[in-house]
Amino acid sequence: MQLLLDNAHVFLGGIIQTFQLAVATLACATVVAVLIGVTSVLPFAWARLVALCYVEIFRDIPLLVTMLFVYFGAPLLGVPLSPYWAALISLTLWGGANGAEIVRGGINAVPRHQTVSAVALGLKRWEIFRYIVLPQALLPIVPPFTGLFSNLVQATTLASLVGVTEFFRIGNIIVERTTIQEGHSPAFLVYGFVLLTYFVICSLLTGLSRRLERSLQNRGGRVVRVAVKPTESV
Amino acid sequence: MAEDPLIRVRGLVKSFQGVRALDGVDFEVARGEVVVVIGQSGSGKSTLIRCLNGLVEPDDGEILVGGTAVDTHSQREWRLLRQRIGMVFQDYSLFPHLTVLRNITLAPIRTGRASPAEAEALARELLARVLLPEKADAYPGELSGGQQQRVAIARALAMRPEVMLFDEPTSALDPETIQEVLDLMRSLARDGMTMVIVSHEMGFAREVADRVVFIDRGRVVETGPPVAIFRDAREERTRAFLAKIL
Ligand SMILES: Nc1ncnc2c1ncn2[C@@H]1O[C@H](COP(=O)(O)OP(=O)(O)O)[C@@H](O)[C@H]1O
Ligand SMILES: [Mg+2]
Repeated sequence: MQLLLDNAHVFLGGIIQTFQLAVATLACATVVAVLIGVTSVLPFAWARLVALCYVEIFRDIPLLVTMLFVYFGAPLLGVPLSPYWAALISLTLWGGANGAEIVRGGINAVPRHQTVSAVALGLKRWEIFRYIVLPQALLPIVPPFTGLFSNLVQATTLASLVGVTEFFRIGNIIVERTTIQEGHSPAFLVYGFVLLTYFVICSLLTGLSRRLERSLQNRGGRVVRVAVKPTESV
Repeated sequence: MAEDPLIRVRGLVKSFQGVRALDGVDFEVARGEVVVVIGQSGSGKSTLIRCLNGLVEPDDGEILVGGTAVDTHSQREWRLLRQRIGMVFQDYSLFPHLTVLRNITLAPIRTGRASPAEAEALARELLARVLLPEKADAYPGELSGGQQQRVAIARALAMRPEVMLFDEPTSALDPETIQEVLDLMRSLARDGMTMVIVSHEMGFAREVADRVVFIDRGRVVETGPPVAIFRDAREERTRAFLAKIL
Protein backbone atom coordinates (compact mmCIF):
# COMPACT_ATOMS: atom_id res chain seq x y z
CA MET A 1 0.00 0.00 0.00
CA GLN A 2 2.80 2.33 0.94
CA LEU A 3 4.31 1.56 -2.43
CA LEU A 4 1.18 2.80 -4.22
CA LEU A 5 1.10 5.97 -2.15
CA ASP A 6 4.82 6.63 -2.66
CA ASN A 7 4.35 6.44 -6.38
CA ALA A 8 1.06 8.32 -6.43
CA HIS A 9 2.36 11.15 -8.59
CA VAL A 10 3.87 8.71 -11.09
CA PHE A 11 0.63 6.76 -11.31
CA LEU A 12 -1.26 9.99 -11.68
CA GLY A 13 0.92 10.92 -14.65
CA GLY A 14 0.12 7.55 -16.20
CA ILE A 15 -3.59 7.89 -15.54
CA ILE A 16 -3.61 11.33 -17.12
CA GLN A 17 -1.77 10.02 -20.18
CA THR A 18 -4.20 7.09 -20.45
CA PHE A 19 -7.12 9.39 -19.99
CA GLN A 20 -5.89 11.77 -22.67
CA LEU A 21 -5.29 8.94 -25.09
CA ALA A 22 -8.66 7.34 -24.32
CA VAL A 23 -10.67 10.55 -24.69
CA ALA A 24 -8.88 11.50 -27.93
CA THR A 25 -9.35 7.96 -29.24
CA LEU A 26 -13.05 7.83 -28.40
CA ALA A 27 -13.66 11.22 -30.01
CA CYS A 28 -11.69 10.48 -33.18
CA ALA A 29 -13.00 6.92 -33.52
CA THR A 30 -16.58 8.15 -33.14
CA VAL A 31 -16.13 10.74 -35.87
CA VAL A 32 -14.57 8.16 -38.20
CA ALA A 33 -17.24 5.59 -37.30
CA VAL A 34 -20.09 7.97 -38.14
CA LEU A 35 -18.46 9.11 -41.38
CA ILE A 36 -17.67 5.61 -42.60
CA GLY A 37 -20.94 4.15 -41.28
CA VAL A 38 -22.97 6.76 -43.15
CA THR A 39 -20.82 6.27 -46.26
CA SER A 40 -21.63 2.58 -46.14
CA VAL A 41 -25.37 3.25 -46.62
CA LEU A 42 -25.10 5.96 -49.28
CA PRO A 43 -26.94 5.27 -52.53
CA PHE A 44 -23.66 5.20 -54.48
CA ALA A 45 -21.97 1.86 -55.09
CA TRP A 46 -18.44 3.30 -55.11
CA ALA A 47 -18.98 4.97 -51.73
CA ARG A 48 -20.23 1.75 -50.21
CA LEU A 49 -17.24 -0.10 -51.66
CA VAL A 50 -14.76 2.35 -50.12
CA ALA A 51 -16.46 2.02 -46.73
CA LEU A 52 -16.59 -1.76 -46.99
CA CYS A 53 -12.87 -2.00 -47.81
CA TYR A 54 -11.93 0.27 -44.93
CA VAL A 55 -14.04 -1.65 -42.44
CA GLU A 56 -12.89 -5.08 -43.56
CA ILE A 57 -9.20 -4.16 -43.60
CA PHE A 58 -9.01 -2.61 -40.16
CA ARG A 59 -11.32 -5.08 -38.46
CA ASP A 60 -9.36 -8.01 -39.80
CA ILE A 61 -5.85 -6.84 -38.90
CA PRO A 62 -5.01 -7.22 -35.19
CA LEU A 63 -4.83 -3.82 -33.56
CA LEU A 64 -1.30 -4.45 -32.31
CA VAL A 65 -0.08 -5.13 -35.84
CA THR A 66 -1.70 -1.94 -37.10
CA MET A 67 -0.10 0.00 -34.28
CA LEU A 68 3.41 -1.33 -34.93
CA PHE A 69 2.90 -0.83 -38.66
CA VAL A 70 1.88 2.81 -38.17
CA TYR A 71 4.67 3.50 -35.68
CA PHE A 72 7.48 1.93 -37.69
CA GLY A 73 5.98 2.61 -41.12
CA ALA A 74 5.41 6.34 -40.76
CA PRO A 75 9.12 7.30 -40.66
CA LEU A 76 9.61 5.42 -43.95
CA LEU A 77 7.05 7.77 -45.47
CA GLY A 78 9.00 10.69 -44.06
CA VAL A 79 6.56 11.47 -41.26
CA PRO A 80 8.02 10.16 -38.03
CA LEU A 81 5.30 9.86 -35.41
CA SER A 82 5.62 10.08 -31.66
CA PRO A 83 4.45 6.94 -29.86
CA TYR A 84 1.40 8.85 -28.67
CA TRP A 85 0.33 9.82 -32.18
CA ALA A 86 1.03 6.38 -33.59
CA ALA A 87 -1.16 4.91 -30.86
CA LEU A 88 -3.93 7.46 -31.36
CA ILE A 89 -4.00 6.94 -35.12
CA SER A 90 -4.07 3.18 -35.00
CA LEU A 91 -6.67 3.07 -32.22
CA THR A 92 -8.79 5.46 -34.27
CA LEU A 93 -8.45 3.34 -37.41
CA TRP A 94 -9.46 0.20 -35.54
CA GLY A 95 -12.21 1.79 -33.44
CA GLY A 96 -13.53 3.64 -36.48
CA ALA A 97 -13.86 0.43 -38.45
CA ASN A 98 -15.70 -1.39 -35.66
CA GLY A 99 -17.83 1.66 -34.89
CA ALA A 100 -18.76 2.07 -38.55
CA GLU A 101 -20.18 -1.45 -38.51
CA ILE A 102 -22.32 -0.53 -35.49
CA VAL A 103 -23.52 2.71 -37.07
CA ARG A 104 -24.43 0.86 -40.26
CA GLY A 105 -26.36 -1.74 -38.27
CA GLY A 106 -28.26 0.99 -36.43
CA ILE A 107 -29.20 2.78 -39.64
CA ASN A 108 -30.30 -0.44 -41.32
CA ALA A 109 -32.42 -1.33 -38.30
CA VAL A 110 -34.74 1.61 -39.01
CA PRO A 111 -37.71 0.03 -40.79
CA ARG A 112 -37.98 0.76 -44.49
CA HIS A 113 -41.56 2.04 -44.25
CA GLN A 114 -40.27 4.94 -42.16
CA THR A 115 -38.25 6.19 -45.11
CA VAL A 116 -41.07 5.51 -47.54
CA SER A 117 -43.60 7.54 -45.59
CA ALA A 118 -41.09 10.39 -45.27
CA VAL A 119 -40.51 10.28 -49.02
CA ALA A 120 -44.28 10.39 -49.55
CA LEU A 121 -44.40 13.62 -47.52
CA GLY A 122 -42.11 15.31 -50.02
CA LEU A 123 -39.03 15.49 -47.78
CA LYS A 124 -35.55 15.59 -49.29
CA ARG A 125 -33.12 12.72 -48.88
CA TRP A 126 -30.86 14.49 -46.41
CA GLU A 127 -33.87 15.69 -44.41
CA ILE A 128 -35.15 12.13 -44.17
CA PHE A 129 -31.74 10.99 -42.97
CA ARG A 130 -31.36 13.83 -40.49
CA TYR A 131 -34.88 13.92 -39.01
CA ILE A 132 -36.20 10.39 -39.45
CA VAL A 133 -33.43 7.82 -39.81
CA LEU A 134 -30.58 9.15 -37.66
CA PRO A 135 -32.59 9.79 -34.47
CA GLN A 136 -34.09 6.30 -34.68
CA ALA A 137 -30.70 4.72 -35.35
CA LEU A 138 -29.21 6.34 -32.25
CA LEU A 139 -30.91 4.30 -29.55
CA PRO A 140 -29.95 0.82 -30.76
CA ILE A 141 -26.41 2.06 -31.37
CA VAL A 142 -25.78 3.10 -27.77
CA PRO A 143 -25.24 -0.30 -26.10
CA PRO A 144 -22.85 -1.77 -28.70
CA PHE A 145 -21.03 1.54 -28.88
CA THR A 146 -20.45 1.45 -25.13
CA GLY A 147 -18.96 -1.97 -25.56
CA LEU A 148 -16.66 -0.56 -28.20
CA PHE A 149 -15.67 2.38 -25.98
CA SER A 150 -14.86 -0.06 -23.24
CA ASN A 151 -12.73 -2.11 -25.63
CA LEU A 152 -10.95 1.01 -26.79
CA VAL A 153 -10.11 2.10 -23.27
CA GLN A 154 -8.69 -1.35 -22.62
CA ALA A 155 -6.85 -1.25 -25.93
CA THR A 156 -4.99 1.91 -24.94
CA THR A 157 -2.78 -0.42 -22.87
CA LEU A 158 -1.31 -1.63 -26.17
CA ALA A 159 0.16 1.83 -26.62
CA SER A 160 2.72 0.88 -23.97
CA LEU A 161 4.26 -1.45 -26.55
CA VAL A 162 5.25 1.42 -28.80
CA GLY A 163 6.47 3.32 -25.75
CA VAL A 164 3.65 5.57 -24.60
CA THR A 165 4.07 6.03 -20.86
CA GLU A 166 0.43 5.46 -20.11
CA PHE A 167 -1.02 3.98 -16.96
CA PHE A 168 -0.31 0.33 -17.69
CA ARG A 169 3.30 1.01 -18.64
CA ILE A 170 3.81 3.03 -15.47
CA GLY A 171 2.62 -0.01 -13.54
CA ASN A 172 5.14 -2.10 -15.45
CA ILE A 173 7.98 0.28 -14.72
CA ILE A 174 7.21 0.43 -11.03
CA VAL A 175 7.05 -3.33 -10.74
CA GLU A 176 10.41 -3.72 -12.43
CA ARG A 177 12.10 -0.94 -10.50
CA THR A 178 10.89 -2.21 -7.14
CA THR A 179 11.92 -5.74 -7.97
CA ILE A 180 15.44 -4.63 -8.78
CA GLN A 181 15.80 -2.22 -5.88
CA GLU A 182 14.16 -4.22 -3.12
CA GLY A 183 14.50 -7.79 -4.32
CA HIS A 184 10.83 -8.68 -4.15
CA SER A 185 8.12 -8.24 -6.76
CA PRO A 186 5.03 -6.14 -6.01
CA ALA A 187 3.46 -7.36 -9.26
CA PHE A 188 0.29 -8.67 -7.65
CA LEU A 189 -0.40 -5.46 -5.80
CA VAL A 190 0.44 -3.09 -8.66
CA TYR A 191 -1.39 -5.01 -11.38
CA GLY A 192 -4.32 -5.46 -9.01
CA PHE A 193 -4.46 -1.71 -8.68
CA VAL A 194 -4.17 -1.26 -12.45
CA LEU A 195 -6.93 -3.80 -13.03
CA LEU A 196 -9.22 -2.08 -10.56
CA THR A 197 -8.66 1.28 -12.19
CA TYR A 198 -9.58 0.04 -15.68
CA PHE A 199 -12.57 -1.74 -14.23
CA VAL A 200 -13.81 1.47 -12.62
CA ILE A 201 -13.36 3.50 -15.82
CA CYS A 202 -15.22 0.98 -17.95
CA SER A 203 -18.01 0.59 -15.38
CA LEU A 204 -18.46 4.35 -15.38
CA LEU A 205 -18.76 4.26 -19.15
CA THR A 206 -21.40 1.54 -18.98
CA GLY A 207 -23.32 3.44 -16.33
CA LEU A 208 -23.27 6.59 -18.44
CA SER A 209 -24.54 4.72 -21.47
CA ARG A 210 -27.43 3.22 -19.47
CA ARG A 211 -28.48 6.72 -18.52
CA LEU A 212 -28.20 7.97 -22.10
CA GLU A 213 -30.24 5.00 -23.27
CA ARG A 214 -32.95 5.70 -20.71
CA SER A 215 -33.16 9.36 -21.59
CA LEU A 216 -33.44 8.51 -25.30
CA GLN A 217 -36.19 6.03 -24.47
CA ASN A 218 -38.02 8.59 -22.39
CA ARG A 219 -38.01 10.89 -25.36
CA GLY A 220 -40.08 8.42 -27.34
CA GLY A 221 -37.31 6.19 -28.53
CA ARG A 222 -38.06 2.62 -29.25
CA VAL A 223 -35.78 -0.32 -28.87
CA VAL A 224 -35.02 -1.99 -32.16
CA ARG A 225 -32.67 -4.92 -32.33
CA VAL A 226 -29.52 -4.25 -34.28
CA ALA A 227 -27.87 -7.03 -36.14
CA VAL A 228 -24.20 -6.29 -35.65
CA LYS A 229 -21.51 -8.77 -35.01
CA PRO A 230 -20.19 -8.13 -31.51
CA THR A 231 -16.88 -6.30 -31.66
CA GLU A 232 -14.09 -8.77 -31.45
CA SER A 233 -11.88 -8.18 -28.48
CA VAL A 234 -8.38 -6.90 -29.09
CA MET B 1 -63.93 23.22 -72.32
CA ALA B 2 -64.05 20.60 -69.59
CA GLU B 3 -61.44 20.87 -66.86
CA ASP B 4 -58.43 18.54 -67.13
CA PRO B 5 -58.65 15.61 -64.73
CA LEU B 6 -56.48 16.16 -61.66
CA ILE B 7 -54.66 12.91 -62.37
CA ARG B 8 -54.64 11.06 -65.68
CA VAL B 9 -52.73 7.89 -66.34
CA ARG B 10 -52.36 6.25 -69.75
CA GLY B 11 -50.93 2.88 -70.70
CA LEU B 12 -49.13 2.37 -67.42
CA VAL B 13 -46.89 -0.71 -67.37
CA LYS B 14 -44.79 -2.01 -64.51
CA SER B 15 -43.04 -5.37 -64.16
CA PHE B 16 -41.28 -6.80 -61.14
CA GLN B 17 -38.76 -9.47 -62.13
CA GLY B 18 -40.75 -10.35 -65.24
CA VAL B 19 -44.10 -10.32 -63.44
CA ARG B 20 -46.45 -7.70 -64.87
CA ALA B 21 -47.97 -5.90 -61.89
CA LEU B 22 -49.49 -3.26 -64.20
CA ASP B 23 -50.33 -4.23 -67.73
CA GLY B 24 -51.44 -1.09 -69.53
CA VAL B 25 -53.60 0.79 -67.06
CA ASP B 26 -55.69 3.82 -68.03
CA PHE B 27 -57.08 5.70 -65.08
CA GLU B 28 -58.21 9.17 -64.17
CA VAL B 29 -59.44 11.16 -61.24
CA ALA B 30 -61.38 14.40 -61.57
CA ARG B 31 -61.06 17.22 -59.08
CA GLY B 32 -63.37 16.54 -56.13
CA GLU B 33 -63.96 12.94 -57.16
CA VAL B 34 -63.74 9.96 -54.81
CA VAL B 35 -62.48 6.86 -56.60
CA VAL B 36 -62.37 3.51 -54.83
CA VAL B 37 -60.08 0.89 -56.34
CA ILE B 38 -61.02 -2.72 -55.66
CA GLY B 39 -59.53 -6.04 -56.69
CA GLN B 40 -57.93 -9.20 -55.36
CA SER B 41 -54.73 -9.18 -53.42
CA GLY B 42 -51.83 -9.10 -55.87
CA SER B 43 -53.87 -7.55 -58.68
CA GLY B 44 -51.72 -4.39 -58.81
CA LYS B 45 -53.72 -1.91 -56.70
CA SER B 46 -50.79 -0.81 -54.54
CA THR B 47 -48.47 -0.61 -57.51
CA LEU B 48 -50.94 1.65 -59.31
CA ILE B 49 -51.51 3.99 -56.37
CA ARG B 50 -47.76 4.15 -55.68
CA CYS B 51 -47.14 5.16 -59.28
CA LEU B 52 -49.41 8.14 -58.68
CA ASN B 53 -46.90 9.74 -56.31
CA GLY B 54 -43.70 8.37 -57.76
CA LEU B 55 -42.95 5.73 -55.12
CA VAL B 56 -42.96 3.23 -57.97
CA GLU B 57 -41.39 4.18 -61.28
CA PRO B 58 -43.40 2.76 -64.18
CA ASP B 59 -41.62 1.05 -67.07
CA ASP B 60 -43.91 2.63 -69.60
CA GLY B 61 -46.92 4.90 -69.90
CA GLU B 62 -47.61 8.49 -68.99
CA ILE B 63 -48.88 10.29 -65.94
CA LEU B 64 -50.39 13.77 -66.06
CA VAL B 65 -51.03 15.81 -62.95
CA GLY B 66 -53.25 18.84 -63.43
CA GLY B 67 -52.89 18.41 -67.19
CA THR B 68 -49.09 18.49 -67.13
CA ALA B 69 -47.08 15.41 -68.04
CA VAL B 70 -44.75 14.21 -65.26
CA ASP B 71 -41.22 13.09 -66.04
CA THR B 72 -41.71 9.81 -64.20
CA HIS B 73 -37.95 9.25 -63.93
CA SER B 74 -37.25 12.52 -62.17
CA GLN B 75 -37.34 12.03 -58.40
CA ARG B 76 -36.91 15.78 -58.01
CA GLU B 77 -40.08 16.45 -59.94
CA TRP B 78 -41.92 13.82 -57.90
CA ARG B 79 -40.68 15.29 -54.66
CA LEU B 80 -42.31 18.60 -55.50
CA LEU B 81 -45.49 16.86 -56.68
CA ARG B 82 -45.71 14.87 -53.47
CA GLN B 83 -46.29 18.13 -51.65
CA ARG B 84 -49.60 18.27 -53.55
CA ILE B 85 -50.42 14.54 -53.32
CA GLY B 86 -50.94 13.15 -49.82
CA MET B 87 -50.61 9.46 -49.11
CA VAL B 88 -51.75 7.23 -46.26
CA PHE B 89 -50.42 3.69 -45.92
CA GLN B 90 -51.80 0.53 -44.46
CA ASP B 91 -49.20 0.38 -41.70
CA TYR B 92 -49.69 4.06 -40.71
CA SER B 93 -45.91 4.55 -40.21
CA LEU B 94 -45.90 7.50 -37.87
CA PHE B 95 -42.41 8.54 -36.81
CA PRO B 96 -42.10 6.90 -33.37
CA HIS B 97 -39.43 9.28 -32.04
CA LEU B 98 -41.50 12.41 -32.67
CA THR B 99 -44.57 13.65 -30.83
CA VAL B 100 -47.87 13.64 -32.66
CA LEU B 101 -47.61 17.39 -33.17
CA ARG B 102 -44.10 17.13 -34.57
CA ASN B 103 -45.14 14.26 -36.84
CA ILE B 104 -47.70 16.60 -38.36
CA THR B 105 -45.63 19.79 -38.54
CA LEU B 106 -42.32 18.34 -39.77
CA ALA B 107 -43.09 18.20 -43.50
CA PRO B 108 -44.93 21.53 -43.82
CA ILE B 109 -42.06 23.29 -42.03
CA ARG B 110 -39.23 21.52 -43.87
CA THR B 111 -40.76 22.01 -47.29
CA GLY B 112 -41.46 25.65 -46.58
CA ARG B 113 -45.23 25.24 -46.90
CA ALA B 114 -45.71 26.93 -43.53
CA SER B 115 -43.85 28.79 -40.81
CA PRO B 116 -43.46 26.86 -37.55
CA ALA B 117 -46.25 28.90 -35.96
CA GLU B 118 -48.60 28.40 -38.90
CA ALA B 119 -47.77 24.70 -39.05
CA GLU B 120 -48.51 24.26 -35.36
CA ALA B 121 -51.80 26.14 -35.59
CA LEU B 122 -52.83 24.03 -38.57
CA ALA B 123 -51.73 20.83 -36.82
CA ARG B 124 -53.89 21.61 -33.79
CA GLU B 125 -56.79 22.40 -36.07
CA LEU B 126 -56.32 19.07 -37.87
CA LEU B 127 -56.00 17.17 -34.59
CA ALA B 128 -59.35 18.61 -33.57
CA ARG B 129 -60.70 17.55 -36.92
CA VAL B 130 -59.52 13.94 -36.45
CA LEU B 131 -60.92 14.06 -32.91
CA LEU B 132 -57.59 13.78 -31.12
CA PRO B 133 -57.04 17.34 -29.84
CA GLU B 134 -55.60 16.13 -26.54
CA LYS B 135 -52.92 13.94 -28.14
CA ALA B 136 -50.64 16.68 -29.52
CA ASP B 137 -47.81 15.89 -27.12
CA ALA B 138 -48.25 12.12 -27.04
CA TYR B 139 -45.88 9.77 -28.83
CA PRO B 140 -47.29 7.42 -31.49
CA GLY B 141 -46.56 4.39 -29.31
CA GLU B 142 -49.12 5.64 -26.79
CA LEU B 143 -51.95 5.61 -29.34
CA SER B 144 -54.19 2.82 -30.62
CA GLY B 145 -53.91 1.72 -34.24
CA GLY B 146 -56.99 3.66 -35.25
CA GLN B 147 -55.74 6.78 -33.51
CA GLN B 148 -52.36 6.45 -35.21
CA GLN B 149 -54.01 6.13 -38.58
CA ARG B 150 -56.07 9.26 -37.91
CA VAL B 151 -52.85 11.11 -37.04
CA ALA B 152 -51.29 9.78 -40.26
CA ILE B 153 -54.24 11.24 -42.16
CA ALA B 154 -53.82 14.56 -40.34
CA ARG B 155 -50.09 14.47 -41.17
CA ALA B 156 -50.88 14.10 -44.87
CA LEU B 157 -53.58 16.79 -44.72
CA ALA B 158 -51.14 19.23 -43.14
CA MET B 159 -49.48 19.63 -46.52
CA ARG B 160 -52.84 20.90 -47.82
CA PRO B 161 -52.75 18.38 -50.66
CA GLU B 162 -55.00 18.57 -53.71
CA VAL B 163 -55.57 14.84 -53.64
CA MET B 164 -55.24 12.10 -51.03
CA LEU B 165 -54.19 8.53 -51.82
CA PHE B 166 -55.14 5.78 -49.39
CA ASP B 167 -53.70 2.28 -49.69
CA GLU B 168 -55.89 -0.04 -47.61
CA PRO B 169 -55.98 2.38 -44.69
CA THR B 170 -58.00 0.07 -42.45
CA SER B 171 -56.55 -3.33 -43.31
CA ALA B 172 -54.07 -3.38 -40.43
CA LEU B 173 -56.52 -2.12 -37.82
CA ASP B 174 -58.47 -3.88 -35.10
CA PRO B 175 -62.14 -4.25 -36.12
CA GLU B 176 -63.28 -1.87 -33.36
CA THR B 177 -61.13 1.00 -34.62
CA ILE B 178 -61.89 0.61 -38.33
CA GLN B 179 -65.08 2.65 -38.13
CA GLU B 180 -63.42 5.74 -36.66
CA VAL B 181 -61.02 5.87 -39.62
CA LEU B 182 -63.79 5.26 -42.14
CA ASP B 183 -65.88 8.00 -40.49
CA LEU B 184 -63.01 10.42 -40.89
CA MET B 185 -62.61 9.53 -44.56
CA ARG B 186 -66.36 9.96 -45.07
CA SER B 187 -66.16 13.45 -43.65
CA LEU B 188 -63.23 14.28 -45.96
CA ALA B 189 -65.29 13.07 -48.90
CA ARG B 190 -68.20 15.26 -47.82
CA ASP B 191 -65.88 18.26 -47.71
CA GLY B 192 -65.00 17.71 -51.33
CA MET B 193 -61.49 16.25 -50.97
CA THR B 194 -60.29 14.42 -54.06
CA MET B 195 -59.45 10.87 -53.00
CA VAL B 196 -58.18 7.62 -54.46
CA ILE B 197 -58.85 4.80 -52.01
CA VAL B 198 -57.76 1.19 -52.25
CA SER B 199 -60.11 -0.67 -49.94
CA HIS B 200 -61.77 -3.98 -49.20
CA GLU B 201 -64.55 -2.24 -47.27
CA MET B 202 -67.32 -2.67 -49.82
CA GLY B 203 -70.06 -1.05 -47.74
CA PHE B 204 -67.87 2.01 -47.36
CA ALA B 205 -67.02 2.00 -51.07
CA ARG B 206 -70.67 1.87 -52.05
CA GLU B 207 -71.40 4.79 -49.76
CA VAL B 208 -68.58 7.27 -50.50
CA ALA B 209 -67.35 6.40 -53.99
CA ASP B 210 -68.29 8.51 -56.97
CA ARG B 211 -66.69 5.81 -59.05
CA VAL B 212 -65.41 2.30 -58.43
CA VAL B 213 -62.52 0.83 -60.42
CA PHE B 214 -62.09 -2.93 -60.50
CA ILE B 215 -58.57 -4.14 -61.24
CA ASP B 216 -57.54 -7.68 -62.07
CA ARG B 217 -54.10 -8.94 -63.07
CA GLY B 218 -52.75 -5.47 -63.67
CA ARG B 219 -55.62 -4.28 -65.86
CA VAL B 220 -58.68 -2.15 -65.28
CA VAL B 221 -61.50 -4.57 -65.97
CA GLU B 222 -64.43 -2.34 -65.25
CA THR B 223 -65.20 1.09 -63.88
CA GLY B 224 -68.42 2.89 -63.05
CA PRO B 225 -70.59 4.32 -60.29
CA PRO B 226 -70.95 2.03 -57.27
CA VAL B 227 -74.55 1.12 -58.02
CA ALA B 228 -73.62 -0.07 -61.47
CA ILE B 229 -70.62 -2.08 -60.31
CA PHE B 230 -72.11 -3.61 -57.17
CA ARG B 231 -75.60 -4.28 -58.55
CA ASP B 232 -75.04 -5.21 -62.16
CA ALA B 233 -71.44 -5.50 -63.21
CA ARG B 234 -71.05 -6.17 -66.91
CA GLU B 235 -67.88 -8.26 -66.66
CA GLU B 236 -67.94 -11.84 -65.47
CA ARG B 237 -64.66 -11.37 -63.58
CA THR B 238 -66.07 -8.44 -61.61
CA ARG B 239 -69.15 -10.44 -60.65
CA ALA B 240 -66.99 -13.39 -59.59
CA PHE B 241 -64.82 -11.15 -57.39
CA LEU B 242 -67.82 -9.45 -55.79
CA ALA B 243 -69.59 -12.76 -55.21
CA LYS B 244 -66.57 -13.95 -53.30
CA ILE B 245 -66.09 -10.85 -51.16
CA LEU B 246 -69.68 -9.78 -50.41
N1 LIG C 1 -41.50 -4.30 -54.77
C1 LIG C 1 -41.94 -5.41 -55.41
N2 LIG C 1 -41.05 -6.36 -55.79
C2 LIG C 1 -41.46 -7.48 -56.44
N3 LIG C 1 -42.72 -7.74 -56.74
C3 LIG C 1 -43.66 -6.83 -56.39
C4 LIG C 1 -43.30 -5.63 -55.71
N4 LIG C 1 -44.44 -4.92 -55.50
C5 LIG C 1 -45.44 -5.65 -56.03
N5 LIG C 1 -44.98 -6.79 -56.56
C6 LIG C 1 -45.80 -7.81 -57.26
O1 LIG C 1 -46.67 -7.14 -58.14
C7 LIG C 1 -47.96 -7.70 -58.09
C8 LIG C 1 -48.98 -6.65 -57.68
O2 LIG C 1 -48.76 -6.29 -56.33
P1 LIG C 1 -49.56 -5.15 -55.57
O3 LIG C 1 -49.59 -3.95 -56.44
O4 LIG C 1 -48.97 -5.00 -54.24
O5 LIG C 1 -51.01 -5.79 -55.47
P2 LIG C 1 -52.20 -5.44 -54.51
O6 LIG C 1 -51.91 -4.13 -53.83
O7 LIG C 1 -53.39 -5.37 -55.38
O8 LIG C 1 -52.32 -6.55 -53.53
C9 LIG C 1 -47.88 -8.87 -57.13
O9 LIG C 1 -47.66 -10.03 -57.91
C10 LIG C 1 -46.68 -8.57 -56.29
O10 LIG C 1 -46.06 -9.76 -55.86
MG1 LIG D 1 -51.71 -3.74 -51.74
